[in-house]
This record gives sequence, C-alpha cells and structure tokens, in this order.
Amino acid sequence: MRVYLIRRVLINIPVIWLVATLVFIATSVLPGDFVVTRIASSDPTSTDPAAKEKQIHAIREELGLNDAIGVRYVKYLGKLLRGDLGQSFVTKRSALDALKDGLPYTIQLSIMAMIIGLVTSIPIGIISAIRQDSILDYILRIFSILALAAPPFWVATIFALYITRWGWWEIPVASQPLFFDDPIASIKLFAIPAVVGGLASGAGVMRLLRSQMLEVLRQDYVRTAWAKGMRERVVISRHVLKNALVPVVTVLGLTVAGLLSGNVVLENIFGIPGVGRRIVFAITARDVPVIQSFVVIIATFVVFVNLGVDLLYGVLDPRIRFS
Amino acid sequence: MATQQTVDPKLAQSDIPRSLSDRPFAMRALIQSQRFMLNKPLGGFGVFLIFLVVFGALFADLIQRYDPETLFSQGNPKFDPEIAARAETDPNVKLQYPSEIWQKGDQPLRAEGPSSGHWLGTDTLGRDLYSRIVHGTRTAMTVGLGAAIIAVLAGVLIGLATAFFGGLVDFIGQRFVDTFQAFPPLIILLLFNQVVAEPNVWVNTISLGIVGIANIVRIVRSSVLAAREEVYVLAANTIGASDARIMLRHILPNIMAPIIVIFTSSIGLYILAEATLAFLGLGDPVRPSWGKMVEEGRRLGPAAPLMALFVGGALALAVLGFNLAGDALRDVLDPRLRGRGGRTGF
Repeated sequence: MRVYLIRRVLINIPVIWLVATLVFIATSVLPGDFVVTRIASSDPTSTDPAAKEKQIHAIREELGLNDAIGVRYVKYLGKLLRGDLGQSFVTKRSALDALKDGLPYTIQLSIMAMIIGLVTSIPIGIISAIRQDSILDYILRIFSILALAAPPFWVATIFALYITRWGWWEIPVASQPLFFDDPIASIKLFAIPAVVGGLASGAGVMRLLRSQMLEVLRQDYVRTAWAKGMRERVVISRHVLKNALVPVVTVLGLTVAGLLSGNVVLENIFGIPGVGRRIVFAITARDVPVIQSFVVIIATFVVFVNLGVDLLYGVLDPRIRFS
Repeated sequence: MATQQTVDPKLAQSDIPRSLSDRPFAMRALIQSQRFMLNKPLGGFGVFLIFLVVFGALFADLIQRYDPETLFSQGNPKFDPEIAARAETDPNVKLQYPSEIWQKGDQPLRAEGPSSGHWLGTDTLGRDLYSRIVHGTRTAMTVGLGAAIIAVLAGVLIGLATAFFGGLVDFIGQRFVDTFQAFPPLIILLLFNQVVAEPNVWVNTISLGIVGIANIVRIVRSSVLAAREEVYVLAANTIGASDARIMLRHILPNIMAPIIVIFTSSIGLYILAEATLAFLGLGDPVRPSWGKMVEEGRRLGPAAPLMALFVGGALALAVLGFNLAGDALRDVLDPRLRGRGGRTGF
C-alpha cells in the first residue's frame, strides 16, 4: 500500500512537469504580448516610434520578457519548484490572487451544482434500475438522455430568458452577491447555473449508475440476500448500491475536478466573476503568469483527485488490492 | 460408429440461403439494419436524426428557403406621408418627431416571430432563421466529423502502438495521456484559438480533434491490452508475422467495435463543443454556427426568446441523434457489453 502510494505520487511528477511545459510553450507562442497591447492602449496618441520602442523594451526588461526562451523556461521551472507562481502582469500582485478572488464564486457554484447533481442522479439511477422497464424507468431514462444531449449554455440561456420574460424573479447580474452576503439574492443568481450545471454532470452519473446497478442486481450474492428475507431497502443499499458505486466514483471525481476549474460558459452567461471567467480574461489580456499558474494548479488538483479516487476504490471494494 | 452426415443433394444445389452470411452483401446490410431498427427503436430514431443532419449539411442549398445571408426588410409602418411632406418645408418638424416617421427607409425585419414567409422567424439582422439553421448543419457536421476523424485516427495509431509495444513506450504514452486529461480542455481550446491569428472552422476542428485524442488512446489501449493476449496473436507471432502486420491485420479488426462506438458518440460531443466555443465568441466569424446563433438570440433579450429556443433545439436534436445511435451501436457491437443487464441504455 505504501509502496503503491509513493509510486503513484512519483508518477504524477512528470505529468505535472509536462503540463507546466505545455502551458509555457502555448503561452510563449501566443501572438502579440502583454506589453505591446498595453502600451498601444495606454498611449494611442504617441507618434514617436523610437520612444515607444524604448518604452516597450524597458517594460519587457522589467517583466523578464527579453530573455531568450530557454532562459525564461529555466527561470520559470525554478520558480515553480520553489512554489513561486509569479506576479500578474496586470495587477502586479501574486498570480494566485486573481484566482483566489474568483474562488469563492466558483466554490459556491460547484457545491450547489454538486448537490443538485447528486440529489437527482443517485435516486434516479437507483429507481430506474430497480424498476427496470416500467413506465417510470422509461420516463427517467428519457429525462437523462435529454439532459445529456441538451447543451448547458442553451438550457441556461432559455431559463434566463423565460424567467425574466415571465417575471418570476430578477436575476441580480450586476451585484453578484455571494451566499454569505445575501442568501436570497445569491440563490436567485446561482440557481439556474447550479441546476443546469448539476443536471449536465448528473446525467452521465444517472445512466452509469443504472447500468451498474442492473449488472449487480443479477449477481448471486444479491439473490442470496433476497433469499435470506432481507428487506428491499437493505438489499439495495448494502449489497447492490455499494458494489455499483465503484465506477460511479471515478466519474464523480472527474466531475468535482471539472467543476472546480470553473464553468466558463455558465459563469459568462450570468456574469459570475468566478475562476473560469478570470482565466478567460487572463488569456485575452496575455497575462501569462496567471494562465500558467491556473493551469498548473488545476492539473495538480486533477491528478491528485484521480489518486484519491483510486484509493477510494479500496474502501468501497476491499477486493481491490493496490500493487 | 460414425454416422455419415448426408446432405440432401437438392438442398445443397438450391439457391436457398441457409444463413445470413450466404446472402449478398447489400441484402445482409439491409437485414441487419432492419433488425437494428426493430430491436433498438430509439437507436433507429437516433439514426433518423443523424440522417436529417447529414442531409441538411449535404443539400443545404436545396432545402434552404432563402439565401442565409439575405437581409429581409419591411416597409416602415410608422411612416406618415403627411408629416414627411411638412418636414420638406418646415425643418422644425424633423426635430419634433423621431426620424422613422418622416423618413421612408425600409426597416430590417429584426427578430420577427414565425410566419408563413419565415417559418422560424428572422434573426438579429433580419435573415431567415430556418435557412440559417439549415446552413448551420454544415458547420456542425464539418467540425464534428472532422474532429472525430482526427481524434480517432491519431488515437487509434497511438493507442495501438503504445499498448502493443508496452514497456517504456507505453509508460511515456500514458504520461502524455495523463497530461492531456489533467490540462483543462477549454483552456487548450482557448489558447489554440488565440495562437492562430484568424480562427476559422478548420482551426476549431483540428484543436478539438487534438483535445479528444487522449480519451481515444485510453479506450483503444485497454482493448489492445486484452486482444494482445489472444491466441490468434500468438499464432500470428509464431508463423513470423511482423509487428505491423499483427497490429493492423490481427488486432485492429478485432477492436473495431469499440472504435466505431466511440467514433459515433464523439461526433455528437464535438458538435456540442464547437457550438460552445462559438457561443463564447470563438467560432468561425463568417459561417453560420448554431452556438453563435444562440448567443445572438440571447442578446435579443427576454422579449424575443424564440430564436435561441429554435437554434438550440436543432443543436440538441443533432447531439441527441449521435448519442442515441452511439448507445444502440454499443449494445449491438461491443461484445463485452452485449446482454449485460438486459437492454441496457436502450
């Protein structure tokens, strides 16, 4: 077990290094850079190209953009190893701060979406499996198939348009309240993105859970449990669900990771200043350190969520041994 | 004592086919698809939807009702000839009334509801929405099919090679797969879009294809790992077949089922991804794209929600078609999943 854990952690190191390298390459081949766009926009009347050139050169020097690409890469990796993610070009603050500001919004959206996803997908998966081929099963299956096919950005748009049209409630797009600031306004803002995001990620879980449950329901030990005269609730929860959950946990793990990297689309529609929105700003503003730190952090997170999921397998199914 | 099996000479000579495999190929295909439609009604519905989308993409010019770029306009209903006549002589009238009352100019038919002239109404600029949706299928199918072909070709080659050779090659390949799975996919797409000076439909196709490779590699790899241990691979090895021959002639045909399934369902995924990119303003700026049109409909605001509703409906149906067909194909083709838990996933 300990050997397995150490090996898995060691394997993750080259992966994170590859991600860091990839994002470095991608950001260094981006056309136009931060300084040029910034100078052009800050002083559009300047007509002396030589002075402008000098100014650009000075700022690039200050930001360390004049070094050769190899030197920049080595410096970047060295800083990364010391846990220094650099400074944002735009705000001159630590690159992490830009993400930290967005995190409360993203976390609130993720938690709400996760709750809605779980509350709908797990019961629907269970019910449609134990009532296989009934009318209820068909309705739930059609619902899950539709939820999987409907584009989230479209569903969210339609919800937002019709809720405003019918005057159900005012969506507080301008004030962007968090739950702890103003619970009611906050729920008004986050309700649609959370429902849409939750259903979109829950639809896959519903279908997976149903097919896994159906498979487990036909196992001998389930027949034994029925034969012992156990109540349905016990058979389903102790014998069937626990064994059907193993692959579902993988999907759930990936969903958590995906949610926390910020839902760019939903955050954009509702003007929620979460992580996803900030990263899009960073890319368009060529704020390279912010892009790099975001990608590296998310990748590290995903990699360790995957590790956590694999370890959870052993808890759910003791037959799985780590080697 | 062994009994000699006697075949009725008349039966042996006759043309009556005794099994499906004796029939000609076209007949076989017809019977197979009839069985598919009967056993998997929802899969059949999916195939029908795919057929509609492909038909729309191929014959968009024939089934459009107007040119998708034509701007429609209407006579100005507020125009008042009396005031216009007064405005000719008295300049104060022009200040008194808004310009559309004394200027006869035609107004664009913006965001009109459905009518007999325009079945689904018109869009923000006054273009026929039905025709634009029909032309949107071209963009969707180009990106969906193109990205799926790129991802599957590259994914199969990489997955086949790394899983077959194993060892260090496999280890490195796996780390690259991990890398691409850990990298937030939307960020790759955003970066791609910014690297190229003028993003167009092909840039999106290629970037989506590249993003999809890792997933295909993973699926192909696990199939190859299972197939590699089969006796026929050992037999081929024994008679001295080359590695390339074993991979392409022995392993590849045996893992076609999951590849076909993943190919079909990934087309739907790529169509969805293209629309999402276009919605975020990263699509092809010229071609009509469903995602871009939903965004335009959103900008019309709650007063005219129908445009977003129609366009997104077309998009959802297209994705639904590929999902349903992919699910049914998985049940029919993939022997590892066949018969599992009855009619799993329709």
